[in-house]
Amino acid sequence: MNRLTRPAVALAALALAVSACGSAASPSPTSPPATQAPATQGPATEAPVETPAPSIDTTPVTITVWDYYGEATPVKPALDGFQVAYPWITVKYEALDWDSMNEKFAVGVSAGAAPDVATLDMTWIPTLASNGVLEDLSALSGGMLNGAPIAEQYEPGGNEAMQYEGAYVTMLFDFDVYALYYRADQLESKGIAIPKTWDDLRAAAKALAEDTNNDGKPDRYLYQVWPDTFHWAQFLFQNDGSILTADKTAAAFNSPEGVAALEFYKSLIDDGSGIYWGPDQGDQMAAFKDDTIGMFQNGPYVMGLLKSGAPEMAGKWKVALAPYSKQPGSYLGGTGLGIPVAAAHKQAAWLFIQYMLRPEQQVGVFTYAGAAPATTAALESPELTKADPYFGGDAPFGVFLEAMKTATHFPYVKAWSEIQTPTIDDAVAAALLGQSSAQDALDSAAEETNSLLEK
Amino acid sequence: MTLARLRRQSIGYALIAPAMLVAIVFLFVPMIVSAFWSFTEYNGVRPPTWVGLDNYATLLGNARFQRSFWNTVAFVVMGMGLGPPLGLASALLLNRALAFRGLFRVAFFLPVMTSLVVVATIWKMLYNEGGLINTVLTAFSLPGHGWLSDPGTALPAIVVASVWQGFGFETVVFLAALGGIPRDYYDAAKVDGAGRWAQLRHVTLPGLRPTILFVYIIGIIGSFQVFDQIFVMTQGGPVNATRTLVFHLYDKFNSLDLGEASAVAYFLFVVLASLSWIQFRFFGERE
Repeated sequence: MNRLTRPAVALAALALAVSACGSAASPSPTSPPATQAPATQGPATEAPVETPAPSIDTTPVTITVWDYYGEATPVKPALDGFQVAYPWITVKYEALDWDSMNEKFAVGVSAGAAPDVATLDMTWIPTLASNGVLEDLSALSGGMLNGAPIAEQYEPGGNEAMQYEGAYVTMLFDFDVYALYYRADQLESKGIAIPKTWDDLRAAAKALAEDTNNDGKPDRYLYQVWPDTFHWAQFLFQNDGSILTADKTAAAFNSPEGVAALEFYKSLIDDGSGIYWGPDQGDQMAAFKDDTIGMFQNGPYVMGLLKSGAPEMAGKWKVALAPYSKQPGSYLGGTGLGIPVAAAHKQAAWLFIQYMLRPEQQVGVFTYAGAAPATTAALESPELTKADPYFGGDAPFGVFLEAMKTATHFPYVKAWSEIQTPTIDDAVAAALLGQSSAQDALDSAAEETNSLLEK
Repeated sequence: MTLARLRRQSIGYALIAPAMLVAIVFLFVPMIVSAFWSFTEYNGVRPPTWVGLDNYATLLGNARFQRSFWNTVAFVVMGMGLGPPLGLASALLLNRALAFRGLFRVAFFLPVMTSLVVVATIWKMLYNEGGLINTVLTAFSLPGHGWLSDPGTALPAIVVASVWQGFGFETVVFLAALGGIPRDYYDAAKVDGAGRWAQLRHVTLPGLRPTILFVYIIGIIGSFQVFDQIFVMTQGGPVNATRTLVFHLYDKFNSLDLGEASAVAYFLFVVLASLSWIQFRFFGERE
């Protein structure tokens, strides 16, 4: 695309987008070849000035960073330390929100106004990577992160999730796997054992639920049933099912394992122990507080939400490995740090990513956002392994770390975003609402998935 | 052409030049580029590849797109069936010598000035399982309902919220038009023995014909573009029950399928242009 047509294309992208926002990166000097910055130790604010390797271009540059973490971000507090360590790089920090980040990133990329670094949900990576939006970080990094091989700094699942067609396209910053959150106080008072299998879960959910207004429908301590791919996929993986075939050319989620997983998920609603969490259920935190929800499966970031949103519930919640049917399993997601191919300052952007992945910054993912840092060094830090009074003196991060070992990321195919939402989401909702049987809903979604994969 | 006329025209062209420039740069050029994209496979990063009518063929054969189209039509029919009549009824009431007439006018118009996102958020709270609507129903011993979770009620629920937000605009437009109907017509009708209903039928409605046409054209165009309420209240669900054309476009854009997203935009453009032409042709010609 030439220089004359580029502005028109950018305007067209903006006109097409329903909501758009972007920021232009500053002019770029030619990016130097791949380099590796030496790692430094110590707190972010005391970071010494880096002595740049000879191959690093120290021409003053400004990089743009898009961050969707919100107020509890671990990125913003690290900026001062980064500025001290790399005085020739100025960071133009822009706070966005998760809900609108995907479309803003799409607009930024197509309009030629992409940032240099962005926080990206790992479920967006298949679409972004397959469309050639993300820079090949293998080439940019030489396979090294802060002086050590990238592969050695992540769990195998995390390491695999960062790659598309054999090349790193993002660096995992925080990880998301699902575990079971349960009202420990209620389970204890009612003598219910922590569920370890699906049968246990069904029995525990039934014993936990209460009908306080005697209308025949339980209304307290219910199992939260989200009608989406994320939550149903846990059951699919736990039942030895998979989303696509091994060669990723056809849907596999409508297998007997998938149908059984959806039927089990629906049974939690049918027997009254689960609550369909549709758009008219209101605020989830309110439902935690007023005892509507007694159990749910979700990622480590909910620990932070609970602590900040319901501090008065300290000691009432605990976390355990998700119950399973045939094998432990969870989806693997989280937040990755990525560099768009159109980024103006890729070398400086890579230095920024490396800085954010040092252990001291990674711990900030937990201390600021209450989420789970992704690198193994950070996961072993005392801040994360110590007992947490909010969760009854347990160290819940260990549960998520254990879950990560058997977690699977969603398939890296170009059509993934459409396969997930709306295709599988709709099938799950249709079955849960009783609009069609689990088999019919999944068969219909599989047919649509196959046509999306062929495209 | 005289020199004076040429000078007058030059001044006119000079005055509209800034607006034309803005329209060309920010409207016409993007429209042309987007039209080109609709015939290509394009993700915003790699160069577009010409695919002819493939994007349109894919759309028209896609069940989810078809559902989006019919949902949009249903939204338009319900919205236009409720909004303008409600606006006209309230305008007729407010056109009479009522106490606090000014206050009512402001009250009716207030939702129009409120952000659609705010309105949608408020209505979402009203529709919540423990929200005001279900609380009132329960107080009268009626069962509550999951208005936005039930595929059968989700779209009508959004229509109600949209009509509430928008009918104040129609009220104000009809009020202004009612003021433009000469009183003599009503006096003459009264002399001829016409009652209120006959006056409405034979004087008011014919006098409002251009305004009704305007309200419906604007309303239909706006309704076909419904998005904000859907995005905030249901995200197109449950099970596609509230998925509309613009929401489909949004999904395609998010998937970096700018070719199909552009095709949706042009499909919508053709539908709206056709409807507007039909309205002018069959209802506007008599003016």
